[in-house]
Amino acid sequence: MNISLPPLVALLLFPGGLVLLISGLVYEYADRKLVARYQNRIGPRWFQPLADMIKLLAKEEVIPTGVIKGLFIFLPIVALTAILTAALYVPMFGFKPAYSFSGDLIVTVYLLSLMTLCIGLAGANTEDRFSLVGATRALTQMFSYEAPFLFALLGPAIALGTWNIGTINAAAGQNLWFIIAQPLGFLAALIGLMGKLELSPFDAPEAETEIVAGALTEYSGRGLALFRIGRDVELVIGLTLVASFFLGGLGSPLDFLWKTLILLLVTAALQSLFARLRIDQTVGLWWRWGSILILAQLILIVIGRFVGPFIPFLGRG
Amino acid sequence: MTSPIEGVMDKVKTWARVNSPWAIHFNSGSCNGCDIEILATLTPRYDVERFGIKLQGSPRHADVLICTGPVTLQARDRLVRIYEQMPEPKFVVAVGSCGISGGVFQGCYGVVGDIGDVIPVNVYVPGCPPRPEAIIYGVVQLLKSLQS
Repeated sequence: MNISLPPLVALLLFPGGLVLLISGLVYEYADRKLVARYQNRIGPRWFQPLADMIKLLAKEEVIPTGVIKGLFIFLPIVALTAILTAALYVPMFGFKPAYSFSGDLIVTVYLLSLMTLCIGLAGANTEDRFSLVGATRALTQMFSYEAPFLFALLGPAIALGTWNIGTINAAAGQNLWFIIAQPLGFLAALIGLMGKLELSPFDAPEAETEIVAGALTEYSGRGLALFRIGRDVELVIGLTLVASFFLGGLGSPLDFLWKTLILLLVTAALQSLFARLRIDQTVGLWWRWGSILILAQLILIVIGRFVGPFIPFLGRG
Repeated sequence: MTSPIEGVMDKVKTWARVNSPWAIHFNSGSCNGCDIEILATLTPRYDVERFGIKLQGSPRHADVLICTGPVTLQARDRLVRIYEQMPEPKFVVAVGSCGISGGVFQGCYGVVGDIGDVIPVNVYVPGCPPRPEAIIYGVVQLLKSLQS
């Protein structure tokens, strides 16, 4: 679907800004409710994320001693800004991306990983030992999933010969769905997304049974609220990205809804199925299996692109 | 004097506080009986996420300090410190007979007294140990007192 909006509306209201924040809250609710239902619980009420957010924003923000004050206040804002900016290049809600240029895939992936970087910096900024351990783990985990995640998204990009998210989204629907053509890439992208969001099997960086609350231990009130909403929005953007690449593109809001909800169903199942991995297990999983399989698939795709035109059956797969 | 906008804002804040009490659990010297009941309260069987109650690891994230047991000499400084680490507004729920009066540990050489002697307590939940239903009821009483 193609609509053009005035830039200010695009930034503040529709694909960016307000609607994005609200959809972040809605998806957090859906995620928590699904996990609760998988665990045979009733789960939170529909306004739970909103109540959490308002409560956190209304709470006192403690600035602990020993931190660089400006950095402490500024980091949550940078994290949220990066995530909101990333949304402008992604086909949110099934509409055409608000802005696009060739190669915006790389920019989007970088903007999405800025969140983890900010969390790592926030943890390293405080003197608290739990924050420090959490920050180390968050950054270690980032180095393990980031490369396979990028390679997984590059699969469709190389197969279609364009690094523009909008073009890939439009072209993905016309070919064989990439979840069938590149199942390994789909798996790596989805699980990498869970690692990015520090969802359950990959939540060693904020393991509350060992290191209190990880890198965000010292954050209270406003800072915590901004990091949380940033992560919610990152969930929506990540699901949109994976759905548009691997599930045949997003042509309309209805497409967006059912495709992202199916992905959410799968991630919620994975969250409730698996227990937390140790940080060395996470790194081992990605570098021993994830990266090698993804690299093998990437090489196959590159070979396929050279050989493909000579074999009529393979076409542009 | 409050303007109408402030009145609405206060109502929204109270609504959010009542609907999202995040808890932190601290044992200041109890026999572990109450702690087991608190953990039972957090299991899927009672599912306190229905009320928005979530157990947090960090005192900085929590609104409600759920405390068990008498306060021992060792635990007193830690209890006060954790209480002071929590951001305003904060509330304390004392769970179990020992938290109310010191219980069987009253007058022991290593015991300072009950929780109310060390930090201000909002709600006491009696019982030795109280059932999970009683703990949930205590937290609901706290939330009701917030509303009025």
